Amino acid sequence: MKQIIIIAVIAGFAALLPLAIGDSPYFIGVLISVLMMAALSSAWNILGGYAGQYSFGHAAYFGAGAYTTMILISKFNFNPLVGMVAGIIVACIIALITGSIVFRLRGHYFGLASIAVAEIVRLSALNFDFTGGAQGILLSDVSLWGMDLNSKIPFYYGMLLVLVFTLGIALNLRKSKTGYYLQAIREDQDAAASLGINLSFYKNKALLISAGLTSVLGSLYAVYIRFIDTSAVLDLRLSIEIILTAIIGGVGTVWGPVLGAVLLVPLAEMLRSNVIGDVLVTQGIVSENSGLGVFLKGNLAHAHVLVYGIITVLCILYMPKGILGLFRRKK
Amino acid sequence: MIQHLLHINHVSKHFGGNVAVSDISFSVDEKQIFGLIGPNGAGKTTLFNCISGFYPVTSGDIIFDNRAINNLRPDEICHMGMARTWQRVKPLGSLTVLENVIIGAFSITNSTKEAEEIAIEQLLAVGLSDYAQKTAGSLPIGLKKKLELARVLATHPKMLLLDEICGGLNHTETETILGIIREVRNKGATIVFIEHDMKAVTAVCDWIVVLNSGEKLAEGTPQEITGNPEVIAAYLGGGHNA
Ligand SMILES: Nc1ncnc2c1ncn2[C@@H]1O[C@H](COP(=O)(O)OP(=O)(O)O)[C@@H](O)[C@H]1O
Ligand SMILES: [Mg+2]
Repeated sequence: MKQIIIIAVIAGFAALLPLAIGDSPYFIGVLISVLMMAALSSAWNILGGYAGQYSFGHAAYFGAGAYTTMILISKFNFNPLVGMVAGIIVACIIALITGSIVFRLRGHYFGLASIAVAEIVRLSALNFDFTGGAQGILLSDVSLWGMDLNSKIPFYYGMLLVLVFTLGIALNLRKSKTGYYLQAIREDQDAAASLGINLSFYKNKALLISAGLTSVLGSLYAVYIRFIDTSAVLDLRLSIEIILTAIIGGVGTVWGPVLGAVLLVPLAEMLRSNVIGDVLVTQGIVSENSGLGVFLKGNLAHAHVLVYGIITVLCILYMPKGILGLFRRKK
Repeated sequence: MIQHLLHINHVSKHFGGNVAVSDISFSVDEKQIFGLIGPNGAGKTTLFNCISGFYPVTSGDIIFDNRAINNLRPDEICHMGMARTWQRVKPLGSLTVLENVIIGAFSITNSTKEAEEIAIEQLLAVGLSDYAQKTAGSLPIGLKKKLELARVLATHPKMLLLDEICGGLNHTETETILGIIREVRNKGATIVFIEHDMKAVTAVCDWIVVLNSGEKLAEGTPQEITGNPEVIAAYLGGGHNA
């Protein structure tokens, strides 16, 4: 109950935020990225954090949502919401095929197989015609309920809505039979099975919930950006970013992924737009023409995954329960 | 006709060339406290793993509640009313003691509230109520064994398979557990009990099967077994701590 109130308060605050910061497309854009990564990482967390089944291929489900929606809109002029529902179905089919084969096996096979499946999906999208191949899919115009979809505001609220929905599911699951069962599977599979838990059924259930939510975010993102190709929505880098966000924030907790996204997405944005390099130069800490200055200017923009990686290593070494773990008392 | 709840029929289990369980047959009657004893490496745990669905048998049949269960999964066998504990305890380490038992109780209810009520009741029964909110991984071994017991009791089993549930416990702790086992039987459950400690076994069991090197050495009442020279030889000869 307390947690539901926290979600409501934060969501209310987030809903008012665009009014406060005014009409800055840049900042709204960054906030949309924060909300999206928080939701993606929360969806991943249901499978990876609760059930302990680390997926390294969640981009496949994101891409499934994005591609299905874009194809249905651009080729058949479907309503975006129909595209979203179709995307969920495609993502769940991919998930079921993966899960029903791999979850029979113990150990780290799922992690490996999830990469393999994501690569198969990516290469398929790259080589088929109906997915636009290497060119991707561009959407010149899109409409829904007469909203102004050239503005970022509807997408801000769309992402917020999906995030709240995802957190609601994560929270609800935690105190339900399924949530307990997933945690039991994470802790000890033999003990779980001996207590009557059908391991592959519950792993598949977690995968389907996680994949379905991830695909919704892919659909929303595609319509927001209006251009997709494999490097935008099916890349391994995206899968890795989702995992690192959860790990840094706190795996297996409801709020860890949100915290991870709030901290990391703006950091990545600063690296990308080279704010840090610029500050170091303008403050005179590093001379612009020195070797280091040139290096920073040239490379820092591409370094955000590297920085994520370094933070993750530090996290695993010094705070294995993520940043959120620092605030938890040990029982 | 006597109702056999569990019937082991010529069961063997090989690991490559190693015959861990060799052509074992016996039956367990309803409401019995049934002891399975033998020196280390005799095949007791392996037989439990076969019965509870974790190992496929190499040959033979296992009949529980009038149904062949050789090919069922562990979770299906649990839902038929057979629950097991682990010699090497398997707490769900980062969850609380209460949550561990709630998970057991979910095998008979879908409601979190009901599961919690059942769990609280079972924690009380084994004397773990004070530890309900502790993380399971942090308990000392004696309490972990009690947790194993509370967790399977929460599934309301017809039959419990207890694998050295008193192993590593002191005299008082052992007495407490034996008391709980008698009580559970009096409420109608059947218990198969692997134990090293001969005294514990003879104190509580109605019937005993002795395994040695994977084979059945003897079976009988506690008096018959303790007086059996072959059994004494196996135990003394093995040099084990029975
Ligand atoms: N998973 C396994 N793989 C190979 N051998 C095993 C396995 N489990 C048990 N064994 C062997 O089976 C024999 C019986 O072991 P076990 O059933 O644990 O004996 P007990 O429980 O009576 O002490 C031992 O020789 C042991 O090494
Ligand atoms: Mg053993």
